[in-house]
Amino acid sequence: MSNQKKRNFQIEAFKHRVVVDPKYADKTWQILERAIHQIYNQDASGLSFEELYRNAYNMVLHKFGEKLYSGFIATMTAHLKEKSKLIEAAQGGSFLEELNKKWNEHNKALEMIRDILMYMDRTYIESTKKTHVHPMGLNLWRDNVVHFPKIHTRLLNTLLDLVQKERTGEVIDRGLMRNVIKMFMDLGESVYQEDFEKPFLEASSEFYKVESQEFIESCDCGDYLKKAEKRLTEEIDRVAHYLDPKSEEKITSVVEKEMIANHMQRLVHMENSGLVNMLLNDKYEDLGRMYNLFRRVTNGLLTVRDVMTSHLREMGKQLVTDPEKSKDPVEYVQRLLDERDKYDKVINTAFGNDKTFQNALNSSFEYFINLNARSPEFISLFVDDKLRKGLKGITDVDVEVILDKVMMLFRYLQEKDVFEKYYKQHLAKRLLSGKTVSDDAERSLIVKLKTECGYQFTSKLEGMFTDMKTSEDTMRGFYGSHPELSEGPTLIVQVLTTGSWPTQPAVPCNLPAEVSVLCEKFRSYYLGTHTGRRLSWQTNMGTADIKAVFGKGQKHELNVSTFQMCVLMLFNNSDRLSYKEIEQATEIPAPDLKRCLQSLACVKGKNVIKKEPMSKDIGEEDSFFVNDKFTSKFYKVKIGTVVAQKETEPEKQETRQRVEEDRKPQIEAAIVRIMKSRKILDHNNIIAEVTKQLQPRFLANPTEIKKRIESLIERDFLERDSTDRKLYRYLA
Amino acid sequence: MGLSKDRIRFNVGGRIFETTSTTLANAGRGSFFGALFDENWNLSQPGDEEEEDLFIDRNPDCFAVLLDLLRTGDLNIPPNIPERLLHKEAMFYGLIDHLRTAKWGPFDGNRLRLSRSVTGIAPGDGTAIRAGPDGGCCVAHGSVVHVFDWMLEEHPTINLDYQRVNDVGWINSGNIVLSACERLGRGDGGMGLFSSSSGELRYKFQVSHDNQVKSYSAGALSFSPDSKIFTSCKGRSNEYGIGVWDQITGKQVDFFYESPGWSLGDADKLQWLNGKNCLLVATLFPRKDNCYISLLDFRDKNMVWSWSDIGSPATADEKRVRDAIAMEESNSICVVNEFEDLGFIDLRMDGGGSSVRWSSRSRLMKSKMPDEPCYPKLALHEGQLFSSMNDSISVFCGSDWVLTSRLKRSYGGSICDFSIGGDRLFALHSEENVFDVWETLPPPVI
Repeated sequence: MSNQKKRNFQIEAFKHRVVVDPKYADKTWQILERAIHQIYNQDASGLSFEELYRNAYNMVLHKFGEKLYSGFIATMTAHLKEKSKLIEAAQGGSFLEELNKKWNEHNKALEMIRDILMYMDRTYIESTKKTHVHPMGLNLWRDNVVHFPKIHTRLLNTLLDLVQKERTGEVIDRGLMRNVIKMFMDLGESVYQEDFEKPFLEASSEFYKVESQEFIESCDCGDYLKKAEKRLTEEIDRVAHYLDPKSEEKITSVVEKEMIANHMQRLVHMENSGLVNMLLNDKYEDLGRMYNLFRRVTNGLLTVRDVMTSHLREMGKQLVTDPEKSKDPVEYVQRLLDERDKYDKVINTAFGNDKTFQNALNSSFEYFINLNARSPEFISLFVDDKLRKGLKGITDVDVEVILDKVMMLFRYLQEKDVFEKYYKQHLAKRLLSGKTVSDDAERSLIVKLKTECGYQFTSKLEGMFTDMKTSEDTMRGFYGSHPELSEGPTLIVQVLTTGSWPTQPAVPCNLPAEVSVLCEKFRSYYLGTHTGRRLSWQTNMGTADIKAVFGKGQKHELNVSTFQMCVLMLFNNSDRLSYKEIEQATEIPAPDLKRCLQSLACVKGKNVIKKEPMSKDIGEEDSFFVNDKFTSKFYKVKIGTVVAQKETEPEKQETRQRVEEDRKPQIEAAIVRIMKSRKILDHNNIIAEVTKQLQPRFLANPTEIKKRIESLIERDFLERDSTDRKLYRYLA
Repeated sequence: MGLSKDRIRFNVGGRIFETTSTTLANAGRGSFFGALFDENWNLSQPGDEEEEDLFIDRNPDCFAVLLDLLRTGDLNIPPNIPERLLHKEAMFYGLIDHLRTAKWGPFDGNRLRLSRSVTGIAPGDGTAIRAGPDGGCCVAHGSVVHVFDWMLEEHPTINLDYQRVNDVGWINSGNIVLSACERLGRGDGGMGLFSSSSGELRYKFQVSHDNQVKSYSAGALSFSPDSKIFTSCKGRSNEYGIGVWDQITGKQVDFFYESPGWSLGDADKLQWLNGKNCLLVATLFPRKDNCYISLLDFRDKNMVWSWSDIGSPATADEKRVRDAIAMEESNSICVVNEFEDLGFIDLRMDGGGSSVRWSSRSRLMKSKMPDEPCYPKLALHEGQLFSSMNDSISVFCGSDWVLTSRLKRSYGGSICDFSIGGDRLFALHSEENVFDVWETLPPPVI
């Protein structure tokens, strides 16, 4: 004891630095490595998370982060190499299932390992900029399993085979497919694209190349399109079920290219079933399908549109140039309207009301309607027909519909002034003969024309209506001031303003005495109430109702034209008259007289006079007498004039000439308007501007414009530039 | 005995804690607790007869603080717990972000409190202090830069071959740019990109003139949101001006050469104006005898606005501009003189015609100038204007810039630089190598 006490008690300082157990790191890592093995072997239930986490934490804390990181990679790599052998060993159909199973196991294990290594993930990896645990685990799976040579191609071929099977109608396990494809997506976009999507698209392209070739040899256009549409929806469905949504655009573009774009021309032009055939046979469903499929490819709609346009033009050209079809103007216009309705419906129901198609339709109509120079006349005649009789029993709404359609055709016309001319003539006839059915319809159309072409276009037409109204008042005034006239023949005068009405040279004609007395009375009445006016009688436009008693006392009231009245009145005094005598007595111009006699003598059932010799045509040597045997079921008999419904060739020429004549001042006015604002302009520009300005009314002829310019130069409105002869100068 | 399913008992370093899984869920999946309760780690089977407490081999005091943080969102550190220990524990549990968020609130110049003073070991005066985006800061002293993270842990120091550092700046929380003087005849210096955590040099920016790489001294720094770096450059053969680099490629993308009679290459301050798409360049007394302030538009290489005090009346020498800052919202530039008088220059009028509108409110200061004065500095943060003078920082608010607060500490001497960022204000003192950290108070309990 004392010995001990004596002993110098000394505390020795540590001679060594405090060192952590050199085997510390190895020991700790072994614990973690064992845990990773257990996790992979699904034997993790006995593991303590707290312990593992603490160990991993300590390793990082004691600067063994690198060891921990590389150890984790090595261990996981070894495991995955083993797994890939197991997957590879799986036979046939179980291959994918095995892969999927192992993938799910790996994911779970990876999650747990990441939990353990969480501290390393946050600190060591963060500061050394290494790959984090989770993406690292995915990379290892990619490199050791998916890219393992014996798995890589087998996996791809298995997947492509399944897709192929599904395309040929077999049922496959879509859920498994989705899981495996999802694995590619989880491994990163580039893995999905390189290892699956690209080969998938290539295989699809090949498949559809072959299939489309097969279809096109064996199917007609409609069936082919049905199949293409089905394939397209199948592929979209496939993407929705087990591919990356981003693949949809790519796979559909493959189908579009192989099935549509590559066969576009052949499909459209397919004999007996192509686009033209569909149009002819109103196959709206097929047309709609074609539109929807072709819309997906470049120039698809352009192709459809071009073929439709050329078909339309061809068809239209035939329609307007066929002499048979242009015999009946009403029929002619009705056909145009029918075609338009038809294509309107096609575009509406099948082509999704596509604006570009509507434009194509319009331009086609514009093209062919103007091929026939008589289109303006025919359209006016169509309106005339409708307004004379065709509108009876139709509601106001329907009237509007018809008029709107007519306006549609009117818009296509290049020579709107020609239409105006004819319209004026036809309207005049309607008004004067009191044939117009509906005043409202007449006015409605005029309003439409006015909105389309402006006030100028319709001012004269409106003047005509005003004249009719004023004349009514005038007649009332006339009979009011001449009460003695209630006895004897009644005269109804329509006072027409010169200029508003289609001018026809006032044909001189000798009126029967009874009538001419009345006329004189009216003239003095009218001129008495209005000063500074001149009246001239348009005998060629009047009508008369006369009472006649035939041989056995049959009484009839005849509704005839003024000329016919003049002729018939002659028979009050003589029984038989020669052509010459009639001509002398009435002074009706020969063509009118012939037409008038023809209608009186040659129309069956209405021949109130007879002629000798009996023939269809009137000769200068013919003689005429009252047909005593004339009978009719009706008391009132309307004797029509043999009117030219359509114009005769010379009349046509005449109208044409009048139109040309009317255009001159318009062209001149346009030139002056343009020059007034521009002062100096060269020839080509003037032509262009004038044409543009007159477009809404007619298509000006460049030669005519040139002539007008020359005429204006002569009249000192313009002059040529002294240095540049191509320039014109405006002279104020 | 069976605890209800939601209740959890921990044994942390020998102390029993009872809490609920709902509370722990606040920690998030990326934390220790998130992983611990994940179904992968089929922890205690419910209804297990011999249910044991979950043992965690950690410090119970810190656990208590962190558990309260999860419970209330508030951080309360008892004086007996060293902060470093708490940070370490928070790192272990993966709760460091929670702790960072709870530590201080969104920045408000009028509600600041001094949180810490950090004393350094560097000799001599500090050059500059710069706040990092996540609460850290870096301090340039002579030829080295000290980097601190938000926990104010110091990281390895940074240097560009020990050249005198002119300016530093944070590209992001991981990268710092440092500009340094060129050393005669050595061809180094210039500008470098460093890792804030390891202090390693990652990239050195080069300047070329006429396709020749030249050495240069780099001065003031500025960054634009479209990833450009601007610095004032002085080359050996009078290649003075402003250099521009792309942060992503690291390549020089532009150079604005100084024109005769003007100063760019010596600039003290660069400020990128995002709204105007211009760079403010200010060269100030005493670097030059006169002050030059200009706005550069790099798109068409145009100096769109400029102001100088050349030819100002003689009395102006007491009103020399010592710092300038552009305020885009009010279309003006605020300047400060050595007496902390604030002045304003209208940006809408060209600088040639406009003069400084001084608001002299601090004449009193003149009488008690300290022995070692520091030049005043300016900073702008979300509509609040900060101005340092001697040992205090004044806070001005509102459209008329009313003085609302003054931050002042007793020791450390004059403030030579300060910086606001990461919701903190850092003030560097000229003596003692001290910098102060100011944080916004947490919101009131109710």
